[in-house]
Amino acid sequence: MSRAVFAALLLGYLLILPVFSGSLLDRPVEIKLGYVPHPQVLRLASADHKLLTGEWLVVKVLYYFGSVLQKSFEHVIVRPEFANMYRTLQTSTRLDPYNMDPYYFAQAAFTWELGRVKEVNALLEYGIKHRSWDPWLHFYLGFNYAYFLKEYDKAAFYMQKAGEISGNSLFVNLAARYFYESEQTGLGLTFLDAMIAEAKDPAIRKTYELRRDALVAISSIEQAVEHYRRQHGRSPAELAELVNSNLLSDLPKDPYGGHFFLDERGRVRSSSKLAPSFSTEGVSDSQVIE
Amino acid sequence: MLALLYPLLIQNFRGILRDRMLHAVLASGLGILLLVPSMSTFSMRQVQELSITLSLSAISIVLLLVTLLLGSSSVWRDIEKRYTNSVLTLPMPRSMYLVGKFLSFCLFLCFCGLILGLCAVVVIMAASAQYPSGHSVPWGNILLSVVALTLKYILLGSFTLLLSTLSTSFFLPFFGALAIYFAGSASQEVYEYISGSLGENLSPTVINTIKGAYYLLPNFSAFDYQVQAVYGLTISMSRVVLMGGYFLIYSGLLLGLAIWSFNRRQLP
Repeated sequence: MSRAVFAALLLGYLLILPVFSGSLLDRPVEIKLGYVPHPQVLRLASADHKLLTGEWLVVKVLYYFGSVLQKSFEHVIVRPEFANMYRTLQTSTRLDPYNMDPYYFAQAAFTWELGRVKEVNALLEYGIKHRSWDPWLHFYLGFNYAYFLKEYDKAAFYMQKAGEISGNSLFVNLAARYFYESEQTGLGLTFLDAMIAEAKDPAIRKTYELRRDALVAISSIEQAVEHYRRQHGRSPAELAELVNSNLLSDLPKDPYGGHFFLDERGRVRSSSKLAPSFSTEGVSDSQVIE
Repeated sequence: MLALLYPLLIQNFRGILRDRMLHAVLASGLGILLLVPSMSTFSMRQVQELSITLSLSAISIVLLLVTLLLGSSSVWRDIEKRYTNSVLTLPMPRSMYLVGKFLSFCLFLCFCGLILGLCAVVVIMAASAQYPSGHSVPWGNILLSVVALTLKYILLGSFTLLLSTLSTSFFLPFFGALAIYFAGSASQEVYEYISGSLGENLSPTVINTIKGAYYLLPNFSAFDYQVQAVYGLTISMSRVVLMGGYFLIYSGLLLGLAIWSFNRRQLP
C-alpha cells in the first residue's frame, strides 16, 4: 500500500471519527439486568475467581440500578427488575459471603423503596455469620427491626451487638432509644446521617440524601402540627393552616416531587409516598420501558 | 549430577525468557494490574478489598496462561525439533533432561510470581491509600496467597509436563491441563455437595466414582487463600504445612510418572 493511500485512509478515519462517535451516543440502549446462573453452578465455573465473580455481580446490579435511576431523573420510566436484582445480590453473597457491597446495596435499595425488609434481613443475617467483626450489618438489622418492623426487642439486640463490636456510642445510644423511645422520624434521621457519612457511591448517597431531605421536611411539619395541637386543642384541617398560624414560614417541598398532606389520623403523608417515580402513573406510553 | 543439571536448567530458563509469547502474557498481566486502583473504585464499601481480589485474580490468570503455554509446548516440541537428540547425546540419563526442564519451569513461574506480586503490592498500596479501609492490609496473608498460587500452577505445570511426554502435539497437554485446572478447582465443592444432602439422592456407584475422582485429581482448593488475603482472616499453620506436603508429594508423583513415560518414549 502506498504512503498516499495510507495517509488518505488515516485522514478519512480522523474525519469520520467525531460523526461516528456522535451517532453511537444516540443508539437505543437496553437497560436489562439479565439472567444469573444458580450460585452452585457459578461457584464451580468461576474456579478460583469466586470473589471476583461475586463483586462483578454487585457491580452489574449497581450499574443497572444507576441506569434506571438516571432514566427516572430524565422522566423516562423503567420498571426495575427488583426481584432479579435481589436474586443477583443473593447469588453474589453465596460466592463471597464476606463482601460488604451486596448487603450494603440491598439495605439501600430494598428497604426504603420496596419495603422488602424481611428479605433484606435474611440476607443480612446470612452476612453476620461471616462478617463477625463488622458492626454495620448488625446496625442495619437493628434499624430495620425498629424502623420498619417495629420489633424493638430484636432491634435493641442487634444495635447492642453493633455497639459491643465497634464501641461506637451511636449504636449504643440507638440501642437505648429502641428500648425506651419510639420517635420514628428522629430515628430515621439519625440513621440516614450515619449512612450519608459513610456513602461513597454518588447514586447511593443521592438516594439517602433525598430520603433525609424528605424526613427533615416531615419532621418540621410534625413539630408544627404538634405546636398547633397544643395551641388550638385540635389538629389542623390542612397544612396551609400551619403557614397561616406562622408555625411554618413556608410549606416544605417533597424532594420526591409530591406534596405533603395530613391523613385521616393526622399523620403527615406525601402524594409521592416518598419513592422515586418508578411507577408509570401520569407518564405517556412512549416514555415507559418495560 | 548437579554439575550436569545446572547448565541444563540455566539453558532452559534462558530459552523461556526469550519466548515472546510469554513476554506478551506478562506485559498484559502487568497492564491489568496497573488498572487495579481505578477498577477497585467500583466497589461501594471495600475498595482495598477489591484491589486485593483483582490483583490476586490477575496474578492467577497470568500464571495459568504461562503454565498452559509453557508446559504444553515443552517436551513434544523439543522432540519434534530434534533438540532432544542433541541434548541426550550428553552423558546423562533422560530423567535429567526432564528434571532440568521442570526446574526451569518452576524457576520461571517463581520469577513471574515475584514480579507480579511486587506489582500487586504497589497497586494495592495505591488503591488502599485512595479509600483507607477500616482494617490494615493483611500483607502476610497476601504473600502466602501469592506463594500458594505459584505452587498451584507449578503443580498444574507438572501435569502439562506429564501430558507433554505422552503427546505429539500441542492439543493434549493444553486442553488436558485446562480440563484438570477446572476439575481440580471444582473437586472440593463437588465433594462437599455430594457429602451433604445432595448425596442422598445419588446412587452409591455415582458417589464412589465422584469420590474416586476427588482423591485422584489435584485439589486446587488447598491452594486457595484468597478469602484470607482479602479479609485478613486467620490462617492455621497446620493447613499451610499440609498444603506444602501435599504439593511436594503430588508434584513429585507427577514428575516421577513423567520420567517413567519419557524413558519409554521412542525418540525419532
